[in-house]
Amino acid sequence: MHPTWQQSPQDAERLAELLAESQRIQGLSLGRDAWRRLKRTRTAMASLGFLVLVGVLAVLTPLLPIASPREVHTERRFAPPELSPFWAERIPLVDDEGRVDEAAVTAAFGELNLLDRALVRLRVALFGEHCVASVCGTDELGRDVLARIFWGGRVSLLVGVVAALVSLVIGVSYGAVSGYLGGLVDDAMMRLVDVLYAIPFIFVVIYLITVLSALEASLNKSFDRITLFFFVVGAIYWLTMARVVRGQIISLKNEQFAEAARTIGAGRARIIFRHLVPNLLSVVIVYLTLTIPRVMLFEAFLSFLGLGVEPPDVSWGLLANQGLRVITPVRIYWWLVVFPAIALGATLFALNFLGDGLRDALDPRLKHR
Amino acid sequence: MTSTGRTLFPYLAAGAMIAAVVWSLSFGTLERADFTFVNSTEIKSVDPAMVTGQPEGRIIRTISEGLLGWDPETLAPVPGVAASYDVSDDKKTYTFHLRDDAAWSNGEPVTADDFSYSFRRFLHPEIAAEYAYLLWDVVGAEDFSTMRLEVGQPVEIELLDRPEGALPFAPGRRISGVLKEVIEEGGGTDGGADNTDGGNGNGTGKVYVVDVGGTERRFRRGDVPSADDDVEACRWVLRDFETVGIRAPDDHTLEITLKHPVLYFDKLMGFYPLFPVNRTCVETYGYPAWTKPEHIVSNGPFQLKFRRIRDRIRMEKNPHYWGRDDVSLETIDALAVESVTTALNMYMTGEVDYVPEVPRTILQEIQAQGREDFSAEPFLANYHYLFNVEKPPLDDVRVRRAINMAINKQEIVDTVTQGGEIPARSIVPPMVSGYSAAECDAYDPEAARALLAEAGYPGGKGFPTLEILYNTHETHQTVAELIQAQLRNELGINVGLRNEEWGTCLNSRRTGDFMMCRAGWIADYDDPNTFLDMFMTSNPNNHTRWSDEEYDRLLEEAAECEDPQQRMQMLHDAEAVLMSEMPVVPLYQYVRPTMVQPYVKGFYNNALDVHPLKYVSIDKELKRELAGH
Amino acid sequence: MLVFVLKRLLWMVLTVWAVFTVSFLLMRAVPGGPFDSEREVPPEIKANLEKRYHLDEPLYQQYFRQLAGAARFDFGPSYKLADYTVGEVIAEGLPISASLGLLAMSFAVVLGVTAGTVSALRRQSVLDVTLMSIATIGIALPNFIIASICVILFVFVIPIFPAAGWGSISNLILPAFCLGAPFAAYIARLTRTGMLDVMGQDYIRTARAKGLSGRTVVVKHALRGALLPVASYLGPATADIMTGSLVVEQIFAIPGLGSHFVKAALLRDFPLAMGLVVLYTVLLYSMNLLVDISYTYFDPRVRLE
Repeated sequence: MHPTWQQSPQDAERLAELLAESQRIQGLSLGRDAWRRLKRTRTAMASLGFLVLVGVLAVLTPLLPIASPREVHTERRFAPPELSPFWAERIPLVDDEGRVDEAAVTAAFGELNLLDRALVRLRVALFGEHCVASVCGTDELGRDVLARIFWGGRVSLLVGVVAALVSLVIGVSYGAVSGYLGGLVDDAMMRLVDVLYAIPFIFVVIYLITVLSALEASLNKSFDRITLFFFVVGAIYWLTMARVVRGQIISLKNEQFAEAARTIGAGRARIIFRHLVPNLLSVVIVYLTLTIPRVMLFEAFLSFLGLGVEPPDVSWGLLANQGLRVITPVRIYWWLVVFPAIALGATLFALNFLGDGLRDALDPRLKHR
Repeated sequence: MTSTGRTLFPYLAAGAMIAAVVWSLSFGTLERADFTFVNSTEIKSVDPAMVTGQPEGRIIRTISEGLLGWDPETLAPVPGVAASYDVSDDKKTYTFHLRDDAAWSNGEPVTADDFSYSFRRFLHPEIAAEYAYLLWDVVGAEDFSTMRLEVGQPVEIELLDRPEGALPFAPGRRISGVLKEVIEEGGGTDGGADNTDGGNGNGTGKVYVVDVGGTERRFRRGDVPSADDDVEACRWVLRDFETVGIRAPDDHTLEITLKHPVLYFDKLMGFYPLFPVNRTCVETYGYPAWTKPEHIVSNGPFQLKFRRIRDRIRMEKNPHYWGRDDVSLETIDALAVESVTTALNMYMTGEVDYVPEVPRTILQEIQAQGREDFSAEPFLANYHYLFNVEKPPLDDVRVRRAINMAINKQEIVDTVTQGGEIPARSIVPPMVSGYSAAECDAYDPEAARALLAEAGYPGGKGFPTLEILYNTHETHQTVAELIQAQLRNELGINVGLRNEEWGTCLNSRRTGDFMMCRAGWIADYDDPNTFLDMFMTSNPNNHTRWSDEEYDRLLEEAAECEDPQQRMQMLHDAEAVLMSEMPVVPLYQYVRPTMVQPYVKGFYNNALDVHPLKYVSIDKELKRELAGH
Repeated sequence: MLVFVLKRLLWMVLTVWAVFTVSFLLMRAVPGGPFDSEREVPPEIKANLEKRYHLDEPLYQQYFRQLAGAARFDFGPSYKLADYTVGEVIAEGLPISASLGLLAMSFAVVLGVTAGTVSALRRQSVLDVTLMSIATIGIALPNFIIASICVILFVFVIPIFPAAGWGSISNLILPAFCLGAPFAAYIARLTRTGMLDVMGQDYIRTARAKGLSGRTVVVKHALRGALLPVASYLGPATADIMTGSLVVEQIFAIPGLGSHFVKAALLRDFPLAMGLVVLYTVLLYSMNLLVDISYTYFDPRVRLE
């Protein structure tokens, strides 16, 4: 929002016009222009900040002094949130000689990649074996909810981002090719999309999950349910993207710059992916910020059906679903549903607001309003 | 669209919305029934020959009645349609004496012929009842059911045409004869009229030469009249039912002859798949139309009045039931509520009187509150893990025993299931009457580690990742997670979990695509056999691929044994073999955590979780009192 | 317009056929059959069962048998609800799902459009952010959480609604609200965006210039244009909502179609699954057709060809 808006709309109007004009003179790119406008939207900026924070925390989770998300302490089941003693808990990570015990790390956090193991070593160096108390309580097996939220966030965000990217790659390529080629090919490709739209997703999900598990067994190689997820969800969510992109390409392909490329003899593939697709950036970004929340919700729904992430891995959807099971009139273990719901809700909230802000910022028609 | 259309559009839209509300309310409400209970899931059918599950059992027990019933407290056989029965000295012939006043819900009497007809239908291959094997101990029943034929044997042939005056869905005309010869036709697939039907020895590619009253006739199975002049088409060629050991000498006597003594046969007669169906009704409407509330005729204390899929089954008192004076309830509702939490919510608001399952997560809390309407009684069902004994290292009995000893079953029931389940050391629950179970090794992590080291994996070193397969369910998941943690901590074994939805999981189990797999078993009747025979080499339920001659021999001998005590000893010995070989880890015996409103009287907990509703009554005063307060 | 409708119907038939074929292949490719159970059925009996449902035939024969059935809208008996044919299952479930769905949808439209319009007109104000925040909660939380919280609040804390079941109007309100909430949120956001787009158009400026009151401009002119994206969203959304929602149906024990969708797939009830797929496709197409026709109302420039 412009600072002088409240004082006098006319002034603001004029000022904005002047500003825009000067910007045009400087030859400001569309991206930078949009960024400027985005910066003026407080909700979007707050959302962006929050998301960056969430992302950083997710990446740095192994570094944080929190408990293990999978260690079972049956004697502490359903312990309510507690703040004190805040720094008394310990988690065994170090062997007798003071070195990081890899087996203990795997037991506490699961199989980790190189970066994560390095982060765990750094954590031990910084905090030792200490971890914070169960500030979010514990679940039915006495596992620390705070740790589960953090580690679950990694999975959920990864699922959301990667699945959205998969859908993006498929959707953009498909839509661009269809839109550019036009005619019979376009018709055929779009009919296929129509058909896929009409197939209830649940069949597709069950089909893909079982077929991929069978593949896993026959290859004798274990890839986890999370990996499967990328394919499953990506395979479902590209349809809308394909339609949107196709529409955009159709309106773009007869623009002068495309003609120009054609006259200098650029091939079809080059025109589509070098010249046309980059012009879709704004649509794509907006769509991305709106697809991630849908994918994450979808993951939660699959957890509700029991087809989601496999324990001992956790995700926010899985946590929310576990929380749901303890909302009964007899007793409500509120912390099991409130904290995961806040984590999931706040992230999706921010993503939606950022998506809105981006759409407003990237839409030239809203520029001066 | 015209301009009038344009102005009308918003009103049309609004009208549609109002119509939707009115429409949805037009389905009407039923008065709350005297007794409403949650029946877990929508039932597959009310036809006793079509079903296998507990929810189906609850309905069929309410609307039908078998020769015998079960006492609601002790499960001892009590008179049903049969007022009494005799057993011959060799324990092979049961004679049931039917009561005179037993009647169908249309007022007609229930006769021995009705049972003979129902058993015949139950065994008939066309019905393909999944429980048909329960009657296979009856002379000739297995042959009849599985279409097994021998040359020289009396057979019956069902022709395509129906006898004159038959009901629309009656079977074709039946003629009897003696099988002379079976001629295989080249390859069995030619002719193209139909396919072979697998290896069950009664394919359509066969011509049956039968001596019918002195003349030799030839038959071939098929749905269309035969083109050959000398071969007649027929629907079925089966062992003559007259030679099957089920006879009705008169209207009130039914005689059943067994191949060998079956000590639990009287209990079996109270099992719901063996309840009768009304012949006139079945043959007038055919399946499934005869099961519709407007058509069905049944012989139980209640009758079916209304069904809405996944909503409710409304039952009303049967005015013709012989024991009608002792039946207190007038109406019963069975609600198909699948979510246990929702069921609990409805119970808490007083919308239902009985819930057969309570969410696991709140069991502890409910027990702590000391509610009197809550109970968790053990029943004859167990929860176990199967090993695939062909997958190394599980082919080593030491590894299997080590795993069993490293699992802290007490911790599982204390922290996961929490309903007061009993940690199991045997596959047959100890509460089976007249039987003492053989136990496996107790929990002993120390010994487990030693045994694992002996098998070549000291401290779990070199042990490949073990995988636990379970079907998607919260309890299975939590149990598997806990066992995963226990094995890792005690034996240093890495355990992976694989969760598959039901259909896929069963398929993996059958094809042996698993290492360890969760399984459960609910007893059909109160006898160890129901738990033990599934580990015999020939049993299709034996997914472990474990095979032991001694075990098979003991069970086969026990089946023929006439002396109850000796038989139980043989079964015990067989279980001892099973529990030392450990193709299966028994984990715990189920309890059924249920809640029943305090004003419900005549409702008992028992080992099979069976609650005959004809004994149930409502203390209306107490109900009013509780509601007011 | 008649030609347009006919053409669309032709496409619908083709699509239904394609969807049918794809779903058929998908289902048959998945391991596990309808007669698998924890209690293994003896092979002889299983063979008879499969024969009864023609599962012993070669796959192509089964395909043509089912396709012929589908063409007559006769999908045969359900495997798992053996007393019913697929037609009967749908006939019982669809009215329930449809009425609940329409109620939820009307609630969603009224709430969503109002919230979206208000917040677009007061862009960047506190009211805008508040309304949009509420709307976003509808999208940001899984509806099983919303539903469970509603149950605790309005059944137990403030006991005004029954816990679950089907039959009276009080049974209807809570599920309709929970079912409609995410849709309301989505519609609010679509309306807001559409409104913002429209308010910048020339014809709005003209309407203002000729001295119409703000209310008239918004309701008579702007809203119509702004609702275009909402209308095209409503098509598929209505098809979705009318075929039921698994989550809401489970939590409120409503005998709609939603659970059948998932159950049929999980339990390999092939005929029921095929019936539902065809139903869903037909509904989806009809709704989209309705939407296209309704465009002529919202935007007079649109002519159906």
